[in-house]
Amino acid sequence: MSFTIATSLDDALAALADGARPIAGGTDLVVGARQGKDPLPQNLVAIDRLGELARVEVTDSEIRIGAGVTHAQLMVDASVVDHCTAIADAAALVGSPATRNVGTLGGNVMNGSPAMDTGAPLVVLGATAELRTASATRTVALDELWTGPGQTSAQPGELCTALVMPARPATSGSAYVRLEYRRTMEIAVVGAAASVTLASDGAIESLRVALTAVAPTILEVTGLDDLSGSTVDDGLLASVAERASGQATPITDLRASDRYRSKMIGVMARRAVEAAAMRARGEAVAVPVNRATGVGAAE
Amino acid sequence: MTEAMVPAPSEDVPAFVRADGPDKVTGSGRYTADITLTGMLAAKFRYAGVSHARITRLDVEPARAIPGVFAVITADDVPDVEFSYGIADRRLFAKDVVRFEGEVLAAVAALTPELAQQAADAIIFEYDELQVVTDLEAALADSSPLVHDDLDAYTITGDTPHGGNVATHSSITVGDAGAARESADVVVSSRYVADASHAVPIEPRAVVAQWEGDKVTVYTSTQVPFDARNGVCETLELPASRVRVIVPHLGGGFGGKCGFHYEAHIAALSRAAGRPVKLVFSRWEEFVAPDRRREGMIIDVTTSMAADGTIVAREADILVDNGAYIADASFFAQAAAMHVAGPYRIPNVRIDSKLIYTNHQPSGSVRAPTAPQGCWASELHTDELAAAVGLDPLEFRRRNIVRTGDVGPSGQTYEEIGLEQCLELASTSAGWGRDLPDDEALGVGIGWWPSFGAPAGAYMKMHGDGSAQIITGANECGTGSVMTLRMLAADEIGIDPSAIELIYQDTAVAPVGPGASGSQTLFNHGRAVEGAARQIADQLRDLAADHLEANADDIVLADGKASVAGSPAIAVDISELAATAASGELLLGKGNAEIRDWPTLSGSSCLGEQGFSSFLAPQFFCHVSRVRVDRDTGVARVLEVHTAHDSGTILNPMAAHGQIEGGVMMGVGQALTEGTRHGDDARQLNPALLEYKLQTIADAPSIHTQFVEIFTPNAGPKGSKGLAEAPNVPTAASVGNAIAAVIGKPVRRLPMTAERVWEAVEGLDQPDSSTDATTYTGGAQ
Amino acid sequence: MTDTTSTSPTPAASGAAADINAVSLSVNGAPYNVAIATDRNLSGVLRNEMGLTGTKEGCDDCECGACMVLLDGQPINSCSYLAIQCQGREITTVEGLASRDDLHPLQRNILAAGGVQCGFCTPGMLMSAHALLETNPEPTQEEIRIGLSGNLCRCTGYAKIIEAVANTAAETPVAPPSAG
Repeated sequence: MSFTIATSLDDALAALADGARPIAGGTDLVVGARQGKDPLPQNLVAIDRLGELARVEVTDSEIRIGAGVTHAQLMVDASVVDHCTAIADAAALVGSPATRNVGTLGGNVMNGSPAMDTGAPLVVLGATAELRTASATRTVALDELWTGPGQTSAQPGELCTALVMPARPATSGSAYVRLEYRRTMEIAVVGAAASVTLASDGAIESLRVALTAVAPTILEVTGLDDLSGSTVDDGLLASVAERASGQATPITDLRASDRYRSKMIGVMARRAVEAAAMRARGEAVAVPVNRATGVGAAE
Repeated sequence: MTEAMVPAPSEDVPAFVRADGPDKVTGSGRYTADITLTGMLAAKFRYAGVSHARITRLDVEPARAIPGVFAVITADDVPDVEFSYGIADRRLFAKDVVRFEGEVLAAVAALTPELAQQAADAIIFEYDELQVVTDLEAALADSSPLVHDDLDAYTITGDTPHGGNVATHSSITVGDAGAARESADVVVSSRYVADASHAVPIEPRAVVAQWEGDKVTVYTSTQVPFDARNGVCETLELPASRVRVIVPHLGGGFGGKCGFHYEAHIAALSRAAGRPVKLVFSRWEEFVAPDRRREGMIIDVTTSMAADGTIVAREADILVDNGAYIADASFFAQAAAMHVAGPYRIPNVRIDSKLIYTNHQPSGSVRAPTAPQGCWASELHTDELAAAVGLDPLEFRRRNIVRTGDVGPSGQTYEEIGLEQCLELASTSAGWGRDLPDDEALGVGIGWWPSFGAPAGAYMKMHGDGSAQIITGANECGTGSVMTLRMLAADEIGIDPSAIELIYQDTAVAPVGPGASGSQTLFNHGRAVEGAARQIADQLRDLAADHLEANADDIVLADGKASVAGSPAIAVDISELAATAASGELLLGKGNAEIRDWPTLSGSSCLGEQGFSSFLAPQFFCHVSRVRVDRDTGVARVLEVHTAHDSGTILNPMAAHGQIEGGVMMGVGQALTEGTRHGDDARQLNPALLEYKLQTIADAPSIHTQFVEIFTPNAGPKGSKGLAEAPNVPTAASVGNAIAAVIGKPVRRLPMTAERVWEAVEGLDQPDSSTDATTYTGGAQ
Repeated sequence: MTDTTSTSPTPAASGAAADINAVSLSVNGAPYNVAIATDRNLSGVLRNEMGLTGTKEGCDDCECGACMVLLDGQPINSCSYLAIQCQGREITTVEGLASRDDLHPLQRNILAAGGVQCGFCTPGMLMSAHALLETNPEPTQEEIRIGLSGNLCRCTGYAKIIEAVANTAAETPVAPPSAG
C-alpha cells in the first residue's frame, strides 16, 4: 500500500497515471473500508492540500467551483450562495460540521451515489464536470458522468478538478430541499433541486428540476418546457409535483417505501420550486431551506 | 414499614458538581476500552450470522494455525453450564443449535484486533438451517416451529406458565370485565404495535480480563458488577472469592449494560491464552449481539365506559417479543400488563400477557422495560376513549386516574400518591388549551413505575483527619446518583460531603448490591449507606459525650462539629474526635438495606406472579408535549416537553433534572425515529447509527420540569424514590397524542416514523381499531 | 451450508499488509514522529501510539462524534480520518484543552451546568464546541445546535450542554479588533 501527499496538481495527476486513487477528506473511502464495503485502495494520493482545487472563481460567463472545495466552504462562500444557492443549501445539509470540513464537492460528485446532495443542484444549474489527466482535459455533462449507483464514466487516471456552471440572469433563483426525519445528520431519503429564471413580468422563463435518491442516478425531470410563461402558483407547483412523482422510479429500502418516496418527491419538488422562485424574486430564504421554513425551522 | 419523614426542600441543596467530573472533561478518566495491560491480546468473537440453525461443523483449527493467534475457544473449552434468570436456556457459547444471529460460536485471542478478526473469519462453520420464528402471533400457532424444543428440559425458577414458544404467561383478573363490557355504554378497541428498540449507550461495551494465579480480575463496562461476577462464577464454576470485577468509568448503560454478558467469555479466553485479553465492541456488535434490547410488543386493548366517561372495564391481550433467550425478561409479561392497565381506577380487568420466544436478538431490561410501549398504547387508547365520549383528554383523565387511597387495576391500594398533582402541574405549565398554529398540538401522557427492594450493603470508615470513605456496591453509569450517597452520609455524620470519598465499582472490596439497575441506587444503596453512616455517627456521639461530659443522646453532629443540643457553644470538632478514635477504637460502620415487602393486593387473581402486580413506593408522572407535524410528509418534531414527576424528595436537583431531560430525549427518539427492523430471516436490518436514528442536539425540545415532593410510604432515604427510568415512560405517549391531535387520528405503530404518520394521514396500513358506540346514548357532561 | 466468511462488518481496513510510513505531526503542541501503517485511523494512533485515550470511539460510521478532534483548528471525525493525512499538521484533542492549573472555560461550564453524565460523549462534544466558539464567539442557540449536531449524547437530553456552551460564550469577552 502506498500513500502520497500531492503538493501540486501535476503531482496528483502523475500519481493517478501510476494507478493511485485520489483521497480528499476520505469520508466515503475510509468509512466504507471500516464497514467492510470496499477495502481501501492500494495506492492513494492525497489531493486535499491543492490550493488550485479549492477555489471558487466567478467570471461574466461562468462560475467555476474547484473539486476540492469543502461543503463547509460551499455553504458560506458568497459567490456560491449568490449564484448557486441550491448548492449551498445542499452542502449545509451534508452530515455534521466535521463531515462538511473534510468532504468536498468533487468527492461527492465522483462518489456517484444517487443520494448525493450536491448532485441535483449541479444538474439544475447546468453544471459540467472538468476531468483531467496528466495529458488532457475534458468536459463531461453530468448525465454522461453518472452511469449508475456508485458508477461514473471517468477513466482510470482522470481527476475531477472542477464543476463549471454558466452565469445566470439576476432574476434567477435556485434551491435544494430534502426529506429529513431529524433536523441534522440525515442522508437524503428523497431530495429535489430547482432552478427558476423569471421573466420581467414574473412568469417563468425557464425551470429545471432534478431529483435525489429516486432513480439509479440523479434524475432530471423532463418535459417542463411547457410551463414556461406560467406564473408560479398552486397549479404550477402541483403540476411540477405530479411530474416529479410520475418520473421517479424509487426503490423500497430501510429508509422509505417506494410508495412513500414517490409521493414525497413531489412534495420536495414543489417546495424546491417555491423556494427557488422566491429567491428569483429577490425574497430572502435563508440557507438551507430545510432549516429556514417548515417543520425544520429553528424554534 | 414507614417512618415519619419530612422532605427537605430541594431549593436549599447547592448545585452539585460531580466528583468524577474533572476526570471526564479532561480526558484523563479511563473507561474499559482505554485500559492497556502488559502483554495484552485482542479478542474477537465469531458470531452465528444465521438466526436459527443446527450446527453440523465448527472447525477452529484454521484459526489456531494463524501466527499470532494465542487461543480459540468454543463450548468445548468451558464448563457445560446452562444459565439465565428464570429459565436457564443458554450457554456461553452455542452448542448444537444457534437461535439468533448474534450468538457467539467462538472467541479468539490474538496479537491485534485485525489478526483476531482474521482468525475469527477463518473458523469453519457449517450448519443446517432451521425455520425461523419472527412473528409473535404466528409463534403461538400449534404448527409454528419452536425456538426451544422443550422448555421443561431447562431448570426453571418459579411456577410461571410456559410451553411451546411461550416463555412466560401472566394475567390480571379483577371482577368480570366481559360482563361489564356487555352492559357498558361505550366500548373502544384498539391495536397498537411497537417495534423493538435499543439502549444505545455511546460507549460500546468492553471487557478486559487478567489472571494472577487462580484468581481473575475482570474490568468491564457493566452497570451491575455483582451480577457480572456471579455470572462468571456460575458459568466458569469459580468461587466468588476468586473473581474480582472492577468497573472503570462507565459510558452509559440505560439498562443495556445490566446483566451478565461477556465477562466469562473473556475470562476463559484469557486463561486459555495465558495473557490479559481485551474485547471492545463495534457499534454493529453493540446492536446485534447482547441479550439486552427493548422488546417489540403487540397490544390489543378494549375499554368499556359509562356514557360519562367512567371506565368500567379493561380487557387486553399483549404479546411481548422475548427473542431467542430469556435474559432477565421473565417478568416482562406481567410488567407489560401493568402498564397497559395504566394508573387508572378500573373495577373490572382482564389482561393476558405472553412473553414469546422468537429468533430475534434477546430482549432484556432497557430503561423501564415494557413501560414506554405499554404506556404509549394505554395513553393513545385513553385519548381515543376521551374522544369517544366527547371529553377533553385532560378532563377524561381527571375522572379516571388513581388518587391517594384509590384501588388500582391490580387490586393495590395506593397510599399518598401525587399523580393528580403531576397531571395539573404539567398541563398548566404547557398551557393546556391555548391557541396553537394549525400544525401544532399538545399531547398528554401519564404513567407509573415501581421502586424495587434489593439486598445492598455498605461500609464506611472515618480517618484520623476527619475525612471519610464510603465503600459501596453502587455503580455510576452517569446518573450522578452515586455521588448523592456522599450527601446522605455527610448528613448523618455532620461533615461536608466533599470530605467523603467513594470507593465503588469493585466487587473485591464492596458488599453486594444491585448496582445501577432499576432506578435503585438511592433506594437501596442509599439506605445501606445511611445505616453505615449512622453507626459512625453513634460512635462519634459516644466520643463527644465523653469529651463534652454530656449525654450521647443530646449530641448533635453538624457543620463539622459535635455539640450539645441547645448549647451550641459546648462543642468539639469532629476531626478532633476522629483523631482520638484513630489511636483507639476505630470509626467503622456497616449498613444493610432492609428488604421491603411488596404491597398486598385485594380482589384480584394474578397468574404467573413475577413480582410486578403490585408497585412498591411507586413513582407517578405526567408529560405534556408540544409537537409540530408536517402533514405533507408526516415528519413530526417535538418542540417542548413539560414534565411533572412524583419521585418523592429530590435530593440532588441537578442530577434529577438531568435524568428527566435525558429520559425525555430517549423517549422522543423512541417516539419518532428509533426502531429496529428485521428481515424475513429474523436478522436486524438497521444495526448502525445512520439507519437507527437517535435524536440529535438540533432536535432537542425545550424541557420544563417540576417535581411533586410528597410524603411516600416505604420510600427510600429522606423520602426519595427512583427517577432514572420514569421520564422515559410517558414521553412517546405524550408525543403520540400530540401527533394524533394534529392529524386527527392516532398512529398506532411505534416508532411513529414520518412514513407511518403520513400513512395515517392518508388512511393507509394502520392496525385495526374500532369504536363500538352503538349503545352509546349520552353525551359528555 | 457452509459459511466461512466474516459475519462482522468491521474487519481490518485493508486486506493487504500496509506499508509503514514515518509521519510527523503535532498533537496538543507537542511534536511526534510516529511510524504507522497507511490504513491506520487517527483515533487509533492517538489512543494507542500516543496514549491519549480521551478521544473515544463510539460507532462505525461517523455518526456519534465521540472521536471528534481538531485538525488545524477544524473538527474532524478522527475514527475515519487516516493518520497519515495528518503529516505536518496540528491536532488538538481533549487533553489539550485544559492548562496545567485550570480547566478550560468550556470544561468548567459543562460541569457547572450538569452537562456531563457518563462522560463518554463529553470529549468530542467539547472539541466541537471549542471549534464553534473559535469561529463564532457569540453563537445563537440554533448555531450551537447546528455546531454540535455531529455529537450524539444519550444521557443529558442536550439541554445542559447547550446551556454550558452559551454560558461560556457569554462569559468570554469577544476580542476587539487587534490594535496591532
